[in-house]
Amino acid sequence: MSEQLTLYLHKLSPYSLKIELALIEANAPYKSYQVDFQNKPEWFAGKVNPAGKVPAVTYGGPNVEPDDPSPLSAKIAESNVILEFVADLYPDSGLLPKDLVLRAKVRFFIDATTKHIEGPCYAFFQGKEPYDNILKGIEFIQELLEEGRDFAVGDHYTIADACISPQFEALKIITKTDIGKFPVGMGYKLGEELKGPKFAKFMKYAQRMLDRPSLKQTYDEEFAITFFKTRFTERVQ
Amino acid sequence: MSEQLTLYLHKVSPFSQKIQLALAEANAPYRAYQVNLRNKPEWFTSKLNPVGQVPVLTYGGPNVNPEDPSSLSAKIVESNVILEFLADLYPNSGLLPKDPVLRAKVRFFIDATMKHVEGTYLAFVQGNESFDNVLKAIEFIQELLEEGRNFAVGDHYTIADACISPHLARLKIVTETDIGNFPAGMGYRLGEELEGPRFAKFKKYAQRMLDRPGFQQTHDEEAIIGYFKRRFTNRIQ
Repeated sequence: MSEQLTLYLHKLSPYSLKIELALIEANAPYKSYQVDFQNKPEWFAGKVNPAGKVPAVTYGGPNVEPDDPSPLSAKIAESNVILEFVADLYPDSGLLPKDLVLRAKVRFFIDATTKHIEGPCYAFFQGKEPYDNILKGIEFIQELLEEGRDFAVGDHYTIADACISPQFEALKIITKTDIGKFPVGMGYKLGEELKGPKFAKFMKYAQRMLDRPSLKQTYDEEFAITFFKTRFTERVQ
Repeated sequence: MSEQLTLYLHKVSPFSQKIQLALAEANAPYRAYQVNLRNKPEWFTSKLNPVGQVPVLTYGGPNVNPEDPSSLSAKIVESNVILEFLADLYPNSGLLPKDPVLRAKVRFFIDATMKHVEGTYLAFVQGNESFDNVLKAIEFIQELLEEGRNFAVGDHYTIADACISPHLARLKIVTETDIGNFPAGMGYRLGEELEGPRFAKFKKYAQRMLDRPGFQQTHDEEAIIGYFKRRFTNRIQ
């Protein structure tokens, strides 16, 4: 019998979403538990992740309720570390290719996503930076995408696709609703830029990722929009 | 016959040294080529790394002169991506354990080194911050070290040890020479703090790493001190 795996997550966390996507694409059974950050359970930091953040995973140990984690399970934190862990648990899922050079390409893509997409998107959303670095980041990522290929690397869904896909949801919401701390209208403007021919390859890839059943079944866009509307009411002028 | 491996490096680059350490510990044959970073050869940026940084690893393809890299070799950049590639290439070297949970611990240690140690050390040495955050980072790392164990994770040298060792060496140089843009004496003061009982476990681990033959063979203290003297000439008062 295989070991239990419990994912502590939040439905609005792009970092949690990465892991859900990888698990679903690998057809991996898992339990999930949404951590309420408005009312954080006191056992979470002590028993699951000292940093108090999601995603966090418990692996192995007895089959317990997620809100009663056992000291016998392994505790794993940091989204990209967890992605590699899931790929290790499911070596034939395709989450990481077998070929060494392709594996390096997957990791380079993840590194590029962290440096060039996640950071700039967050900074723009929080009203700290204009969207110029997002566009630069997208150009960088676009260079890595091969024409006519459906996935970030090779011919199968990998942890590279799982890593970047949540950012596509974030960009979709920002450009569709203009919600965020950036000056009014900048979300719409970013959307206009992204429609141009310069980013066609990127947008095609993004749409393919957004259309995947794994994303559709796990991400509630309406819920996210409603939540962000109430939360992001202050704007930078 | 196994594929060729060429490492383009610079002897003062901690990121290059990470790779040299991993290769030494895995007993892996490779060619090393030092790139003149102050006068970059045109072929380096056009054929190896457009960003112009070291380390770069070429793998496979025909056996050519390092100054004439073949288009047929795979080019791998980003030090942590290269470390994982070497662990894949040498699966029995111990560079990564076989157990998925221990592998996750190695990756978490590497992530912690990147997030906590690299940034804080640089900010201090560049005179942008006091050493308080360096001490917090070292405490974080120290929490991950198990009492009585010789390595960052498990019972064997892994890419976690390779990742942090170059930074440990540079911290040591800063505390022994006081070279940096911080106010005069702060390097020595940091050294005194690290002598305290609070950091005993960390100090023991650091010394073990610096004593390793693989480290001694790849560490050019004179060159690093020379580089620091040239680079850090604007002391904060």
